[in-house]
Amino acid sequence: MEDELSFSDIYGGRLALQRRYYSPSCREFCLSCPRLSLRSLTSVTCTVWLAAYGLFTLCENSMILSAAIFITLLGLLGYLHFVKIDQETLLIIDSLGIQLTSSYASGKESTTFIEMGKVKDVIINEAIYMQKVIYYLCILLNDPADPHGISQVVPVFQDCLTAVTLPWRASLWCSSCLLLDGDHGICTD
Amino acid sequence: MVLKAFFPTCCASADSGLLIGRWVPEQSSAVVLAVVHFPFIPIQVKELLAQVQQASQVGVAVLGTWCHRRQEPEESLGHFLEGLGAIFSHEPWLQLCRERDSKFWSCKATYQQVPTSPGAHSEDQVMLIFYDQRKVLLSQLHPPAALPDHQAGDATASACGLAAVFDTVSRSKALFRSDQFDEGLVRLSHWQSEGVEASILVELAKQASGPVCLLLACLLSFISAASTCRVFKLWPLSFIWSKLSTCEQLRHRLEQLTLIFSTQKAENPSQLMRKANMLVSVLLDVALGLALLSWLHRKDRIGQLADALVPVADRVAEELQHLLQWLMGAPAGLKMNRALDQVLGRFFLYHIHLWISYIHLMSPFIERILWHVGLSACLGLTVALSILSDIIALLTFHIYCFYVYGARLYCLKICGLSSLWRLFRGKKWNVLRQRVDSCSYDLDQLFIGTLLFTVLVFLLPTTALYYLVFTLLRLLVVTVQGLIHLLVDLINSLPLYALGLRLCRPYRLAAGVKFRVLEHEAGRPLRLLMQINPLPYNRVVHTYRLPSCGCHPKHSWGSLCRKLFFGELIYPWRQRGDKQD
Amino acid sequence: MTCAQPVTGTTGIRWQKVLYERQPFPDNYVDQRFLEELRKNIHARKYQYWAVVFESSVVIQQLCCVCVFGVIWWYMDEGLLAPHWLFGTGLALSLIGYVLFDLVDGGEGRRKSGRTRWADLKSALVFITFTYGFSPVLKTLTESVSTDTIYAMSVFMLLGHLIFFDYGANAAIVSSTLSLNMAIFASVCLASRLPRSLHAFIMVTFAIQIFALWPMLQKKLKACTPRSYVGVTLLFAGSAFGGLLSISAVGATLFALLLVSISCLCPFYLIRLQLFKENIHGPWDEAEIKEDLSRFLS
Repeated sequence: MEDELSFSDIYGGRLALQRRYYSPSCREFCLSCPRLSLRSLTSVTCTVWLAAYGLFTLCENSMILSAAIFITLLGLLGYLHFVKIDQETLLIIDSLGIQLTSSYASGKESTTFIEMGKVKDVIINEAIYMQKVIYYLCILLNDPADPHGISQVVPVFQDCLTAVTLPWRASLWCSSCLLLDGDHGICTD
Repeated sequence: MVLKAFFPTCCASADSGLLIGRWVPEQSSAVVLAVVHFPFIPIQVKELLAQVQQASQVGVAVLGTWCHRRQEPEESLGHFLEGLGAIFSHEPWLQLCRERDSKFWSCKATYQQVPTSPGAHSEDQVMLIFYDQRKVLLSQLHPPAALPDHQAGDATASACGLAAVFDTVSRSKALFRSDQFDEGLVRLSHWQSEGVEASILVELAKQASGPVCLLLACLLSFISAASTCRVFKLWPLSFIWSKLSTCEQLRHRLEQLTLIFSTQKAENPSQLMRKANMLVSVLLDVALGLALLSWLHRKDRIGQLADALVPVADRVAEELQHLLQWLMGAPAGLKMNRALDQVLGRFFLYHIHLWISYIHLMSPFIERILWHVGLSACLGLTVALSILSDIIALLTFHIYCFYVYGARLYCLKICGLSSLWRLFRGKKWNVLRQRVDSCSYDLDQLFIGTLLFTVLVFLLPTTALYYLVFTLLRLLVVTVQGLIHLLVDLINSLPLYALGLRLCRPYRLAAGVKFRVLEHEAGRPLRLLMQINPLPYNRVVHTYRLPSCGCHPKHSWGSLCRKLFFGELIYPWRQRGDKQD
Repeated sequence: MTCAQPVTGTTGIRWQKVLYERQPFPDNYVDQRFLEELRKNIHARKYQYWAVVFESSVVIQQLCCVCVFGVIWWYMDEGLLAPHWLFGTGLALSLIGYVLFDLVDGGEGRRKSGRTRWADLKSALVFITFTYGFSPVLKTLTESVSTDTIYAMSVFMLLGHLIFFDYGANAAIVSSTLSLNMAIFASVCLASRLPRSLHAFIMVTFAIQIFALWPMLQKKLKACTPRSYVGVTLLFAGSAFGGLLSISAVGATLFALLLVSISCLCPFYLIRLQLFKENIHGPWDEAEIKEDLSRFLS
């Protein structure tokens, strides 16, 4: 079972949300960010190279040009490997846990699995970003030392900060899924 | 709650039989550890389980049946398997079945007892989770779960969630000891059933490590006893020891070696890891030191170095002389007081002259000294680097002296000026109230104070310039020494073994697990693959970083600038000395 | 304004200036008795012209001090005045002043302060020794600093000396310590420009005499024998004018004009402007606590 919705993020880019239901106890939300556009890549590269060429005409040292090439390549690699996120996945397995995966453009995946016993609550948080209020989904973790305390707040879909509607729906799904597990009362606010 | 069956991937191709494992009722999950093949005698299986339970303190039981249909479906086997539930009663009774030519398995969990509420589920939803038994057995979870209490037996299952699975697998080593070539009465299938994994080299090393450790520990205790001898604690010597970074490094190295070769067994994995990290870092250090030694002794490089050293020191002194002569003129059109300028310049020139004669007095012995110092590289690169740092400190002693003179003079001037400025305004510093109060001075006090104030104000630029120049030189030397110390600290504290483990066996250091949803067909149980999520490199470094000898500068940039402005002395080694005190 | 009208039905009730009783008047109501308490110019003082002129002589004296110091320094710098002569004269005048200082009030001030002659001698010795010891240093102190900078600095310092000097007014800006220190600083700066260290020594000594000792004597003279004080002031002003005249006629004229305006015109203006004073006091003033409250505090 699979369906797809599309939203816009806070910068106005398009985001696609895929929902997959593997079984009543396991479902997956997959948020795809826009791909790296050729235009921005070209413009950045051209800017760096033009600046390097300007310096080269001033100093007449060919080291500058090779340095510019290296900087561009390394910058691109670093951007793809550490910054640019293609897809973020939220996998909810009933009575087992929640798994957050972000896959980078270079193919690197970083995964965090949160056991259900550690989840205290799932909330929608609001924050002020520039001139507007944005809402995002957060998972609160239990503090093992203090039964009422919160040890950590883990934002979900952190890297594609999304618009209002998306977290709302995701939260509904998340909570309905979690509610199957009677031990953990989950409320949204 | 959904029933979760953790199934080892190595058993997927095993013959039909019984599932052996542990049932964790809190999470309604069944951890399958092995499969017992037909034929078997139920009493013997029960005996084996009792043995394992005694050895590992884990409640191992028969969880259900495993049916692998290779040929045509055998009706009789199915009935037989159902019948087994009567012999090994377990609640719930799992029935796993793998069809021929099919990726999808069927799984049933039946409750034989009458459910408490009639009409409720007698057959529950089941989720199959595959795991790699070897990786789960060998991996170490981070952060470590609450220390498993070995006496409490089954009660330890309170370790939350997946830690319980890891704990169960790692503690049932007794079950994995027999392989299929054993003449045992019960045939099992698990990750070692194709043959027990072991290495002759590792076993030999384990055997040899005991006596070697004992021998080396004795030797080290002799050395440390000698180093704590009373003679070394007399006043001038102890002062020198505390200031030389070589001694610091040697002491640190001795502590490390004592810890490595201590005859006590490591109690927990983190301690073991620490020992291994230290051993690797010492070995790498010594290897680098030996490489340096061989490089130095090839082609008489020490002689060249010694020949180069004296001219370099001469050159430095010459440059300093030029600098002083420049300062004694009117540098950059500054309004310097000529008389004071001349006095200071001559004083420093005489100092440099003394220094040069000292170096020339030393020059015949330098090669021999360097040769002996070079030998110390076999103790490790860090020792050699520390000695280098000390040599730099000794060779730039004149710069240090200049800095101290300049700073003292400047500090005197600044303090005098600040208090005389208060006198000039008719105020004074009230020590009891920590504030500036007004005060009426006598006429002669006022006169002398103002006279001194005027003199100090006009002499300040000269002193400040000398102070500035020598402070910059001093900071240069301190920066070089700081870089060397940073390198030494890096070698000392980097957990190389843990990093190597992370690089070659990523599953050994686990940050947790991750799940992958396998191909799914409606009406069949959901299948997940559990993989080990390796610990990120930065967390490896953070968790296993070895304690270094710790001479990080403690003051911030702001306080450093403040100290520089007020002319207080800056020692790179002061913090370390304080720490020991 | 309607609210200011007294309410007709309540003629029997008198308005009271209290807040704790409910009254049939609007909040901002006051009756005719309000302005009865108005007072005018209660703290204004009537000045006599000649008394003000007499008081202004302190300013004249200080101006003249600075002027005489400047003139003497100029003479020394030009080499027209031998340092020995200045030293001798200064010593003699100091001794005369010292004797006068005790004679004027019959030794009463000395008895009150409890200061012995031995302490005076010690102070004098400290002055002389330190100045003599530091004079070679002073000589080379400002060699590399340009003369204009030194002049500017000295002028600022002497102006500061004049501004912060204790003329007898009770103001926050007055600080006799700062004033004296600025004068000494200026004199040290100027002394370092003189050709030899002996010159510098004598210049600084002279500065102490004229900026520290002379005002003390003046104060005592003014308190005890006002007549002779007027004479001394006139004499001093005349000598300062004469000294300045020998250097520059224009400067002397300007200086004379300054003195005249300060001693004659300014008092005249003060008295004239006093007539226009309209200072009103009344119940609207801030409360002023007259009593000493310190006994309640402990």
